[in-house]
Amino acid sequence: MIIVNDVHKRYKTEHGAGKWVLQGVNFTIPQNLSVGLIGKNGAGKSTLLRMIGGADHPTKGSIERRCKVSWPMGQGGLEGTLTGRQNAKFVCRVHGHQANLADRLAFIQDFSELGEAFDEPISTYSSGMRSRLQFGLSLAFDFDVYISDEVTAAGDAAFRKKAAEAFKTTTSRAGLIMVAHDEGTLRDFCQAGVWIDNGKAHWFDDIEDALKAYKDTLPK
Amino acid sequence: MTKTRNPLAITFDVWRAIFLREALDRLFDMRAAWFWLLMEPVMHIGFITALFTVVRLHKIAGADTAVWIIVGMLAFFLFRRTGIQVMYAVDCNSPMFAYRQVRPFDTAIVRGGLEGFLMVLVSAIILLTAAFLGHDVIPDDLIQTGIALLGLWLFGLGYGLVSSVLMALVPETEHILKILMMPLYLISGVIMPMGSVPLPYRDWLLLNPIANGLELVRQGYSQYYHMAPGASMSYLYLWALVSIMLGLMLYRRFDLKLVTQ
Repeated sequence: MIIVNDVHKRYKTEHGAGKWVLQGVNFTIPQNLSVGLIGKNGAGKSTLLRMIGGADHPTKGSIERRCKVSWPMGQGGLEGTLTGRQNAKFVCRVHGHQANLADRLAFIQDFSELGEAFDEPISTYSSGMRSRLQFGLSLAFDFDVYISDEVTAAGDAAFRKKAAEAFKTTTSRAGLIMVAHDEGTLRDFCQAGVWIDNGKAHWFDDIEDALKAYKDTLPK
Repeated sequence: MTKTRNPLAITFDVWRAIFLREALDRLFDMRAAWFWLLMEPVMHIGFITALFTVVRLHKIAGADTAVWIIVGMLAFFLFRRTGIQVMYAVDCNSPMFAYRQVRPFDTAIVRGGLEGFLMVLVSAIILLTAAFLGHDVIPDDLIQTGIALLGLWLFGLGYGLVSSVLMALVPETEHILKILMMPLYLISGVIMPMGSVPLPYRDWLLLNPIANGLELVRQGYSQYYHMAPGASMSYLYLWALVSIMLGLMLYRRFDLKLVTQ
């Protein structure tokens, strides 16, 4: 269960505090429910995801994680000067998998299909290779809730198909909170939806209703 | 629900992960980074020693010139490298805070530990080389030398902890600290014996805890060294402990602020 309680967020800028991105967001995500965040660009979807994953913190309000939540997957968290393998090792160790490090690494290398590039610095990767690595990482650990910011949009068509299937198996026994710009992906993975608009969050038990509410506000 | 680790186990896992990653970065970041890690003090020592022995200064305040320079230089580098590495720990590791298990303090303390460890290796190599060149590199009072070095390392850690938080809160601090660092090499007595400075200036220079540390390390090294009167171990440790306490408090207070964007 994840409890988001009256979360306000604004970023620090060069000229002091910026304008409010989120203002008073409240919702509770029950166990094993998959939720999609919907909203226009800049609405604060990724911001909210990062805060749920604990990579950033609310300016006001609180977020309570009563289960094992992943890091916000799909953006950041990789060090450019280190190789894919070294980055993967770091993430494994941080999550307490020193003992079965070799297995996890083999899995990540195999799944991400990076081959020899796994031992090249991340800074030499294409964006597709980066997201494939991130995808491999995201599946290598057991969480109660996975947080995905467009991880499913990784790579070419063939990889995306395989990735979607693997992700579905993993998330079928766990919860998922995701941002995706592709409606099909949201329908595929999520049951409930949260529509973020003007700094507020609106909860919908059915993802279809959330998409509809979002679309109604779009200019025809 | 899956099994969770206790906070101590998480911290330990994170420290190991950061240590190994940082060690890799420090030793192999660029071509032969480990070589330059060793060469920086070697060049300083070699240059100053050559300069001093050319003017036929074989003893400084009763100590072998080469050993006096090596020991002072290594002690100073121990402080400076630890301080600077810890100071930039938060800045350099910001991508790692995407994993909420990694706290800013973890990166700072691990960097401090790694730098101390690397300086032990660097010092061992340099002293061993000096031994082969015929210098007496065994400290007369191992305990005093060790305690003084530990004090310098702790002060470096404290300095780094405090300055890293200040730098994150007020970016301008970086410029001020850089300006302060510059004359530190000279006023800490790395290349001149404190004892030769006349009063009252000597007492002023000894307000600097690093100068105290350097004198104490050198006296521990050779018992015939005329240490500057007034150099005090408790003064060094006072600075070290106060700065570490202040650093810990700052990290406790501003932990969220350091990772919040």
